Amino acid sequence: MLYVSQLQGKQIWDAWGASVGRCVDVLIGDPGQAFPPVRALVCRNGQQQFIAAEQISALYPSIVLNVPGSGIVPYVPRGDELWLIDRVLDRQIVDTEGRRVVRVNDLQIAKVRDRFCLTGVDVGGAGLLRRLGLERPVGAFMRLFKRSLREGVVPWEDVAPVHQEDPLRLRVSRDRISQLPPADIAAIFNDLDRQTGQALIASLDNETLADTLEEVPSDLQVSVLAHLEPERAADILEELPPDEAADLLADLPVDTSDQLLELMEQEDARDVRTLLAYPEDSAGGIMNTEFAVVPVGLCAGEALDYLRSSEQAQEDEAMYYVYVVDDQQRLSGVVTLRDLVMAAPQTPLDELINKDVITVQPDTPQEEVAYLVAKYDLLAVPVVDENGVLLGIVTVDDAIDAVLPTAWKKRIPRFF
Amino acid sequence: MKKLTQPVQNLFRRLWFYLTILGPGLITASADNDAPGIATYSMAGSTYGYKFLWLILFVTFGELIVQEMAARMGAVTGKGTADLIRERFGVRITTFAMLCLLLANLGTTIAQFAGIAAAAELFGVTRYIAVPILAFLVGLMVLRGSYRYVEKVLLVLCLSALSYVITAFLLRPPWGEILRQAVTPSFQSDTGYILAVLATIGTTITPWGIIYIQASVADKGVSMDEYLYTRLDVVSGAAWGNVVSAFIVICTAATLFVAGMPVETAEQAAMALEPLAGAGARYLFSIGLLGASVLAASVLPLSTTYAICEAFGWERGLDRSSHEAPIFYGLYIAMLILSVVVVLVPGMPLFALMWLSQSLNAILLPVLLVLTLRLVNNRRVMGNYVNKKWQNVLGWALTVAISGVTVVLLASPWLS
Repeated sequence: MLYVSQLQGKQIWDAWGASVGRCVDVLIGDPGQAFPPVRALVCRNGQQQFIAAEQISALYPSIVLNVPGSGIVPYVPRGDELWLIDRVLDRQIVDTEGRRVVRVNDLQIAKVRDRFCLTGVDVGGAGLLRRLGLERPVGAFMRLFKRSLREGVVPWEDVAPVHQEDPLRLRVSRDRISQLPPADIAAIFNDLDRQTGQALIASLDNETLADTLEEVPSDLQVSVLAHLEPERAADILEELPPDEAADLLADLPVDTSDQLLELMEQEDARDVRTLLAYPEDSAGGIMNTEFAVVPVGLCAGEALDYLRSSEQAQEDEAMYYVYVVDDQQRLSGVVTLRDLVMAAPQTPLDELINKDVITVQPDTPQEEVAYLVAKYDLLAVPVVDENGVLLGIVTVDDAIDAVLPTAWKKRIPRFF
Repeated sequence: MKKLTQPVQNLFRRLWFYLTILGPGLITASADNDAPGIATYSMAGSTYGYKFLWLILFVTFGELIVQEMAARMGAVTGKGTADLIRERFGVRITTFAMLCLLLANLGTTIAQFAGIAAAAELFGVTRYIAVPILAFLVGLMVLRGSYRYVEKVLLVLCLSALSYVITAFLLRPPWGEILRQAVTPSFQSDTGYILAVLATIGTTITPWGIIYIQASVADKGVSMDEYLYTRLDVVSGAAWGNVVSAFIVICTAATLFVAGMPVETAEQAAMALEPLAGAGARYLFSIGLLGASVLAASVLPLSTTYAICEAFGWERGLDRSSHEAPIFYGLYIAMLILSVVVVLVPGMPLFALMWLSQSLNAILLPVLLVLTLRLVNNRRVMGNYVNKKWQNVLGWALTVAISGVTVVLLASPWLS
């Protein structure tokens, strides 16, 4: 196996065996591919010179060209090359398969279909030892104990370089990273330094960004949002469930949150404004205003048809339950979606619904909601006002956040 | 009326903003007066009288320059010191720098546990019981993430260092003489004196301080527009910490030096507070020592392991499990255990251990200073925020001066 660290600083010889200079960097093209080809070597001999890959006959054990020194046709950089030593080696990189941020200890080069190509990134201890010149002695020592150095090479197609100063490369990374589950993107974002993380997250599309934001601790949410254009920030807030959006806006300065609310679509903004009126740790503060309701007096089949055409139901993230309300929007009963689907279409809803619903008021403390959810094994609790009008629902995940803080919440300051 | 309130409002907004951004500088500066700090200043004041005051003035300026550079790097790059060193200097230099950091911080951690042992023994508890128990509690507290809550209590305990300021005024020392000594440099070439000089430098300008201030500024996401306030924080923090240091020297000089009693144990050091607290001096002293030691023992090993894992790309952070981040946790626990073992070696002179570890700090400091100066002058890292000429002159002069003292130390057996 050939590694970039073995090329760094090495003599380059021409076809006649005369020294041309030392190799200071390796340029590759098309970093989006699985095996990006080596385009050129950067050679230094007083001044900087690019040597096209076609003129190289061997890289190892020595770098030898297939032309004499005078016959070198300089490679003209196109501007889309990736400088491996300058921009990738020693930097942090996202391992999209292992879903973590790792450091590039070395880069692996191999001949693929007669061309030198970048094949993988060495993130393991063997790479570190190689750079220290200790790979052989330590390897020999380990063999005494019948063990071998662990190779930690990740294929290039499974990594995403992330440099904020490199918008071009960020596109490749974004495509690879946005495939990951939002919780993993959030973890990666959290591991990166602030500026790189922000550049990465800003490159995601609105929906992925909103999903990722939900998984990020609140102080970081605020700083991400603050770095976006106001119009884009408003778009992201629309994508978020209203309760999350309200929490986020509550953490922003009043001027900024007012401005963002103005920019949001009327309907979304209204929902969020309602939630902002309640304390953050009450049922009203954590409830969702998007849920599935049907009017009383339907039968099961009609109810399902109603739901399919109901915009409010479309927005319901989980839809564990369907709530039945009267013409005053007062809650008269609840039915699980399962029962509704399994029932014969003609069954009147009245026979299916549970009329003795466990409900909470908007000012019920979050802990108490969590207690009820746990006690009655509920997936969501409806929130009603004093007249019984259905205002929203608290889903189980939002309720238990109070008692079981998510991993992010117990995270102490990053550098401590 | 409106015209008048607007500027007032702006003023308050600015003041509030300043308060939220204030912090890292003040914490590092308070950490100057941790157990090894108190030991160093007590030893210096009681052995050499007011002669060390000029040195404190000198290192205050040194600390200002160094901390400001580190804070600026954090604000511009958003990255940690170890991260930047690795990206710019490769594996070999990084390994060397991290070994120096580990050695310096291990020495200081041992000194913190020596402080815990000394404080416990002033209360009449043997170190063989107190140190293992407190080490266990510190480890538990940090690893379970409850450090944040305890930090406040410890910071309050550290306030007992203020009693030195009060004591100094009660003592009515010769202020004129003190001022004269504070601006008159003096130097001796015997080994003991040079070790004391190094300890004073090494307890004020620390490798740990550089890494901590950069990390916390980067983590707060301070932008260059707000950087002015961070600079203010760094300056005021350094100034404040060193005012307290100077008062420790004044107190010990006015009591113990006058009595011809160079401090060799914590018990003797506590006597400097007798004019204020009488028989309670030993308790006042040991409470301050305990608070500062536990605070630093919590923060120091963790930030050290974090920096090392960051440099080598190993999984790190308290939100990882020990299975995911074995090196991070292993190194942390190893540092704690090693410190405890060293302190518990029978006959280990605790007080000498506390201040001599700081001489080691100063000997290792130039490594990090040189790397910091190289980084902060790199336009590709710092853009337009590279050092100004005067900053470079002062920074390099400081580095040369500290290395010079080390050279004199090595030569001192032949000089005297």
